[in-house]
Amino acid sequence: MATISQPATAGGQVIGDRWFKYWLIWPAVLIMLLIGLFPIIYTLMVSFQNINMMEEDTSFSGLMNYARLFGDARLWWALLHTLIFTAVALPLELILGLAMAYLFLDRMPGRQIFVALLVLPVMISPIVAGATWRLLFDNRFGPINQILGWITGEPQAVLWLVNPNLVYPAIFLAEIWQWTPFMFLLLLAGLSNVDQSQLEAAELDGASWWRTFWKIVLPAIRPVLLIALLIRGLDLFRLFDVVWALTKGGPGTMTETISIYAYVQGFQQFETSYTAAIAIMIIILLSVVVILALRRMEIAR
Amino acid sequence: MTASGSNWKQRERRRLALRYVGAVIVTALFLFPIYWLFMISFKTPAEIFASPPVWYAESIQFANYAVLFKDGDAVTVWNSLVVAGLSTVLAMGIGTIAAYSIARFKTGGDHFAIWVISQRMIPPIVIVFPVFLLYVWLGKLGPAWIDSYHGLIILYTAFNLPYVIWMMRGYIEDIPIELEESALVDGLTRLQVLWKVVFPMARAGLFATAVFTFMFAWNDFIFALVLTRTEVTTFPVQVTHYFGGQSNFWAKIAAMSALGTVPIFIAVALLQRYLVRGISLGAVKG
Amino acid sequence: MARLTLTDLHKYYGDTHAVKGVSLDIPEGEFAVLVGPSGCGKSTLLRSIAGLEPIDRGTIAIDGDDVTDMRPRDRNIAMVFQNYALYPYMSVFENIAFGLRARKFDESEVRRRVADAAEMLDIAPLLQRLPRQLSGGQRQRVAIGRAIVRDARLFLFDEPLSNLDAKLRDEMRAEIKRLHQDLGKTMIYVTHDQVEAMTLADRIVLLRDGVIEQQGAPLDLFERPKTRFVAGFLGSPSMNFIPARLENGGNDLAVRVDSHSLPLPAARVESLKNHHGRDVLLGVRPEHLTRAREGEVRAGLATLPVTFDLIQPTGSRTYGTFKLAGTEVTAELQAHDAEQPGERLDLHVDMNRAVLIDPTNEQVL
Repeated sequence: MATISQPATAGGQVIGDRWFKYWLIWPAVLIMLLIGLFPIIYTLMVSFQNINMMEEDTSFSGLMNYARLFGDARLWWALLHTLIFTAVALPLELILGLAMAYLFLDRMPGRQIFVALLVLPVMISPIVAGATWRLLFDNRFGPINQILGWITGEPQAVLWLVNPNLVYPAIFLAEIWQWTPFMFLLLLAGLSNVDQSQLEAAELDGASWWRTFWKIVLPAIRPVLLIALLIRGLDLFRLFDVVWALTKGGPGTMTETISIYAYVQGFQQFETSYTAAIAIMIIILLSVVVILALRRMEIAR
Repeated sequence: MTASGSNWKQRERRRLALRYVGAVIVTALFLFPIYWLFMISFKTPAEIFASPPVWYAESIQFANYAVLFKDGDAVTVWNSLVVAGLSTVLAMGIGTIAAYSIARFKTGGDHFAIWVISQRMIPPIVIVFPVFLLYVWLGKLGPAWIDSYHGLIILYTAFNLPYVIWMMRGYIEDIPIELEESALVDGLTRLQVLWKVVFPMARAGLFATAVFTFMFAWNDFIFALVLTRTEVTTFPVQVTHYFGGQSNFWAKIAAMSALGTVPIFIAVALLQRYLVRGISLGAVKG
Repeated sequence: MARLTLTDLHKYYGDTHAVKGVSLDIPEGEFAVLVGPSGCGKSTLLRSIAGLEPIDRGTIAIDGDDVTDMRPRDRNIAMVFQNYALYPYMSVFENIAFGLRARKFDESEVRRRVADAAEMLDIAPLLQRLPRQLSGGQRQRVAIGRAIVRDARLFLFDEPLSNLDAKLRDEMRAEIKRLHQDLGKTMIYVTHDQVEAMTLADRIVLLRDGVIEQQGAPLDLFERPKTRFVAGFLGSPSMNFIPARLENGGNDLAVRVDSHSLPLPAARVESLKNHHGRDVLLGVRPEHLTRAREGEVRAGLATLPVTFDLIQPTGSRTYGTFKLAGTEVTAELQAHDAEQPGERLDLHVDMNRAVLIDPTNEQVL
């Protein structure tokens, strides 16, 4: 016989419940404010001051730093580079990932092992990935030039990470290598969840592969597709590690992303207040995108 | 007996064979860089600096790793372990109970849940910048926060909390609420329910989330780059220290990277069933 | 409309031999029901006919054309799936029109045909809705509409009613039967539900372990099962099987169960007398175990005194369960024939309808 040791109130709720849920959550809220609220407020504050390596002027300097944003060509270039990385890598990862997902979609013995191996690039540290590609791209000791040599029939010494024409393709390659498996995994899960009998019905209905893909498969995997694009899009927007490991934004500032530029301003030039303004700009840009995306996707179910 | 239907089967077999060929090629392409990294870590200097490069080490030797330990560089892996490990424990503990509160009591409502996950989307550079300024300021009041274990651990905890809460909320919602209700009827207190029913039921989810959380901290570069100097340097930062113009410390880059990648292999092996759910922020349940 | 001929069909899943040499000939316009317990190969057979599964051996012909190696879309077959397989992002209209548009029908023709099908199935007001806005029964109708809108040669149904509640299932069953009468198309229907099989079929094909156990008209199978399996599968509640012995009862044959002797009617003696002296299983349907009423005398009725240990009234009937020869036996009584467990009653066993089964090979004697 179970005895109920707790006095129950009328609503079926046990006394003390009212505060129980808050007791559980306050430590988390407290810590999250450290990154969720404090940085924005503090950054906002600093952005209205004038702190840099030379002086620590904490008086209100108005929109000075924001005004400076508009005249800063290097900033806009960095933003443009970031957008280029996103605009090129995202669709390529998507298409390659989708193709790979189709390759592994149907039953095949040992599929689990292939998938486990393919996921490795996603899981390793982007810095390690960057370091690895540094080794691969090396003009004398890397295998890429060696393979190129086999194809062209004469030794190659291409300076992948220095040549302005090649540095972007090189970074794309590393980036796409690391993150295509991410798209692959999500799309494979998405495709596997497409109701098999709908595909069979379409086949019996006489629909072609393309028609089935556009009318049935694509709508079915749309939610997964959008989630994957959102997650990867946000990742690419804050791209830092791989580029840092490969070029540190170089040659010159050719591959500098917005995150790298903010780092350089904040921690190498010590333009504290100006960096704060950049950070605020990034937050505003992102918020707009994220809010729109979240509304549309109902990631929150 | 005529072998009707065998045409079709034959087609299927040919298709499967082709897919295998494709699968092997694709997998080989994706694994090649990782192979190259590990292979270099086993090479002798002469092999590393052979041009054209050789594709396999003549013999597997661990001198490159030994150097890391001799020079004391390997301590950075230990630092990574401490920082990632402790922050994972903290984030899991604090995050899971918060997730339970959100999942079962809808604490804070939908907006709060969305605010939580949106934390995850803020670029790290934007977070670390004011935290750096804060730590500098705190350091003037007492013990140092920059280049300290606690500084990094707290930041990783905070950064990973939204992930833990978001993921664990999903896993907890998968537990039938009747189990908890039955335990309450049987006379358990709320805390006992949490400890004896919810945690055991969410075991697999807890484990998977913890491994991912550990990995995020383990793989992080930018926080460690900004907040460490010499004392608590983590291994990714150490790897970048070996880069230098034309005179890369190849052996050290490879060996240190390999050291930092072995735990990832273990993690992937452990995670299998939870990979997709983990990397898609719970949106795709695999 | 078409005749379907299967010749010696075999299908393996790895080491499992799922379909073991099925040959079947279904004439034009017939409603054939493939029925059997789960794992008997009925769905595999249906999917092979549709072309969704490759077969390992044998041929499939429609109207004499060998379609064995043909792709599903080229076979001109329509199928209704268990989960309906409606395209969730298309309206009802687009769902029904999908097959026509895929086959490049003229748009006005598409519209006309969809309208006709919708009319026939009573779903005309729903055409602009999405599948998720429909009830289970409505979805079922749309799925059928998608099948009938094309002039398919063959209609396949894969357990189409199993996701509906009991009441709707009865309605839709009647509707499908009416549809068959109106269209007169060849239809193959898979189910595990013997009631559906009995009510719908022109011909029941009863499958077990990948082999056809027996096929024929529903009542034929019901009344003249060839094996214990068939006898037990059809009918609800299912047939009782009681260990017994065939022996002499005067100059006639009788079935001895425990201490009771149940004489067989004279008409059955001739065919069974060779089995005299053998152990048998006496197969009696509950409805052939009824309360003995005063003055009711008919050839072949044998009297059996029993004590019920379980009484289950259902309203119109009451099922009484008692123990006999070590097994549980169920009798179908009138509503008030028995009310309490422990009641003693004389039952009549209709030995005209009882089947005798050889327990060694489970064949009906």
